[in-house]
Amino acid sequence: MNFETLRTMFDGEAARATSPLLTLTVGVLLLLLIEVLPALARVRQLVFAGTILSAAWCELLILRNPIPAAVLDGTYLADKTSAGWGLIFLASALIAWAFAQRYYRASRAFIGEHDVLVLCTPIGMMMMAGAENLIVFFIGLELLSVPLYCLAAFRRERNDSVEAGIKYFVLGAFAAALFLYGAALLYTATGTVSLAELRGVGAHSGVALCGVALITASLFFKASVFPFHFWVPDVYQGSPTPVTALMATGTKAAAFAFLIKITFLFPSGAAPVIGAIAVLTMAAGNLGALVQDNLKRMLAYSGIAHAGTLLLVVAGGLAGDPLAADGAVVQAALYYMAAYVFTAGGAFGLIAWLEADGERFTQIDALRGLALRRPKSAAALALFMLSLGGIPATGGFLGKWLVFSVAVRAGLVPFAVIGILLSVVALAYYLRVVVAMYMQPEPEGQAPPMTRRTSAAVATAICAGMVVALGVLPGFFMDRLF
Amino acid sequence: MSWLALITFLPLAGALLLTIVPGDRTTLLRGITFGVTLVVAAMGLAVWSSFDSALATAQFVTEREWFTLPGGTVVHFKLGVDGISILLVTLTTVLLPIVVLSTPGHIRIRVKEFMIWLLVMETGMLGVFLALDLVFFYFFWEISLVPLYFILGIWGGERRLYATIKFFLYTVAGSLVMLIAAIALIYRAESSDILELTEWAAASDLHVQGWLFAGFALAFAIKVPLLPFHTWLADAHTEAPTSGSVLLAGVLLKMGTYGLLRFGVAMFPAAAIEAAPLFMVLGTLGIVYGAFLAMAQTDIKRLIACSSISHLGFVVLGLFALNQAGIRGSVLQMVNHGLSTGLLFLLVGMIYERRHTRALHDFGGLAAVMPVFAFFFVIAMLSSVGLPGLNGFVGEWLILLGSFQASPWLAAFAVLGVIFGAVYLLMATRKLLFGPVVHAENRTLTDLNGREIGLMVPVVLLCLWIGVQPNAFLDKTSASIDVVLERLDEARADQRVGRAVEQDRAPEGAESR
Repeated sequence: MNFETLRTMFDGEAARATSPLLTLTVGVLLLLLIEVLPALARVRQLVFAGTILSAAWCELLILRNPIPAAVLDGTYLADKTSAGWGLIFLASALIAWAFAQRYYRASRAFIGEHDVLVLCTPIGMMMMAGAENLIVFFIGLELLSVPLYCLAAFRRERNDSVEAGIKYFVLGAFAAALFLYGAALLYTATGTVSLAELRGVGAHSGVALCGVALITASLFFKASVFPFHFWVPDVYQGSPTPVTALMATGTKAAAFAFLIKITFLFPSGAAPVIGAIAVLTMAAGNLGALVQDNLKRMLAYSGIAHAGTLLLVVAGGLAGDPLAADGAVVQAALYYMAAYVFTAGGAFGLIAWLEADGERFTQIDALRGLALRRPKSAAALALFMLSLGGIPATGGFLGKWLVFSVAVRAGLVPFAVIGILLSVVALAYYLRVVVAMYMQPEPEGQAPPMTRRTSAAVATAICAGMVVALGVLPGFFMDRLF
Repeated sequence: MSWLALITFLPLAGALLLTIVPGDRTTLLRGITFGVTLVVAAMGLAVWSSFDSALATAQFVTEREWFTLPGGTVVHFKLGVDGISILLVTLTTVLLPIVVLSTPGHIRIRVKEFMIWLLVMETGMLGVFLALDLVFFYFFWEISLVPLYFILGIWGGERRLYATIKFFLYTVAGSLVMLIAAIALIYRAESSDILELTEWAAASDLHVQGWLFAGFALAFAIKVPLLPFHTWLADAHTEAPTSGSVLLAGVLLKMGTYGLLRFGVAMFPAAAIEAAPLFMVLGTLGIVYGAFLAMAQTDIKRLIACSSISHLGFVVLGLFALNQAGIRGSVLQMVNHGLSTGLLFLLVGMIYERRHTRALHDFGGLAAVMPVFAFFFVIAMLSSVGLPGLNGFVGEWLILLGSFQASPWLAAFAVLGVIFGAVYLLMATRKLLFGPVVHAENRTLTDLNGREIGLMVPVVLLCLWIGVQPNAFLDKTSASIDVVLERLDEARADQRVGRAVEQDRAPEGAESR
């Protein structure tokens, strides 16, 4: 490809479409530069936050004025949907980063690398959500996964962190291989890797369907959907908690963004199958969480359950939601995920804060008496639990309403009813956390002192505020953003 | 800002105000809470007095766009009061200051949190009764669970955690099924306005009505609670602090019966007619079974909790008699039960604060030691039994009249409940108040103080007022109930036509074969 083609390809539209990606890339380069110039270390946090906010600004501009056609030779699409996803990814990365401040004690020297790795992940996620081409998606997937492998093992002094890193790496590599193999089969059958052309051709032959199945399996793995969810509890529990927040929210959102995009490849009869997988995922997540005593592990299982709920949207879209043309399916997924990012991000972040203060955070029982000891943290965690459980006045409720609306409209009522009854089970374990914090006496022994951590406090406040705002002002978000 | 919006959200504003008051200023906290609830009560009474009994439609309506659901259905922030809700709204606003006044006796720790939850709960409960948009209603319906969950779980008795979680999961399971029904209804009717939905649903065919009715009715039946779902109530009542019990009996259970009327009978009349025998049987079973349960109790609080099951059985029986006397009686009985059972819970709470036991055999002869307490207890008990001249009589009489018109056998069976009710309440009264003072600890009990008497006097006066002048209350409700009755008549007529058509068809089909 000569320079001239590149120049015609990278026109103004393309620059605008990729502006969030470019901003983030510049940010990453700046952070690397700061690493070699110790004098600049003081502005590192400013650069990180500034980069994320500028990228978010670019996404808002795209949202205001979406780019109608795919750019860069039809490989990347920056429309309203991908801009919405982009904002979710940026929020997820920013929350994870804010809670990581002063979290690492032994690895403090490597905090610069940590920030670089975290800032790479939204680039990967955006490429996954905007990809109009299987190869571009794969590059995005790797750009997300490789930093996460490192981040999962970031607390090298701890065995469980290293174990989480290796597990995530081995299984992640496996999933990547599945994706590539699936893409190859699809290419064999149809002769293209471009989604636009695949939309015209469809996947009808046996080979093509095998390819679609393998790609789906790989996405299910990233999104922690049954039966590809077994790695989740161990990895989420072992990883440093802010990284868990990133994995639970951002990665899942990116996988779903692409999964919703490629639903057209599924045969139309697959809706009940996807619906059944969704219900099984919810069952596996909720029943698994019910028996956990470890808070982080419980939230990991809860994340699986939430993936199942979101998969119901995919099933609903496939079964033919009559409002799909109005974007109802995508809107439900975006709203649900936006609420989940702030809820789960805030919950994991609070755990990270408690953990860094030396609270024996890991067991739910250790939260006893937290409401008296740290009333604000307890109130925020209670709010997040209620939002995860889908109680009104929180974003979780409206997300749930929209998701189940899609399923009901598409005629998947039995799946919706089973799913909603499983969320009663979910409330049982979310309430355990609230019970421990508010209703049980404090355990014996001296409670660790509370450190002032401005970034974590601000992040908690923003997460809590967003959870409530998404719950009571849905009009604002639905009209302006999603 | 309109009246109703102010009534609904003033308590929430009060709760927000309380968050900035330091937790150790308990007098100030109680004072602010009492002040806020008193203002809301005054506004509630103002709404009551300016409510026009002749109008069947919702009054004082305030409406504002909230957000748009996919498909273009606009969800409104819509509040209004009609004949079905006016009594319950006023009851809620009036009960709250009384509850606040009762708290110094039993809420001694974490006063700030308690007052905040109490005010949040008032907003939730008023929202449920005032909301005229289904999404908005559901919002309040579920949100009102949360404060009671905390009130039970933090300030409850020994087995409070078990009771709290049981209460929450039971009710949430029902409401989530209702969520699916609500989504389906809103999608089909392309509106979330309760009045429009009622029009749409009443005109839809029986099959659609049946499924939606089932989804809604399950949630309400659990909340009431109707017979197979009653087990959460006894535990929740027994473990709740006095104020929690009063609110639970006085208002929260009424959300279930209110829902059955507003979303069961009024919205799906054809389905309600089909389901009426089932509900009447369950209601009657609840009456008798609750009475038997109550007779077997040795804990006086649990006894009253079981009597609630029995009394709410009456309300359901009256509602599903589906005639004027039955429904009017039910609506009045909702208030009566709130007053008399609330009064009983208050009294039991007062004696528990003094003696720290609720076992009936620990008492006896209190009438000699605490004459004022005995006086109020006898009034509350008689009001609960349904003595003529007090409130309970009118409601029960109307319900029995209505159910006799609908099904004489069930009415006869339900009368047994009245008799058993008299038996267990009179027995409890005898064990508690009369006979010799057996236990030495009881000799030194102090009688009620001014605060305790003061908070009960308004309730007792209301009981008397309803008993003597029931029409002042029944008239407020009659216009709206008549609309419901008209719908039921139309549905009955349609069904007759439908059956006639089927019967005409059957022989034709046979001939053509």
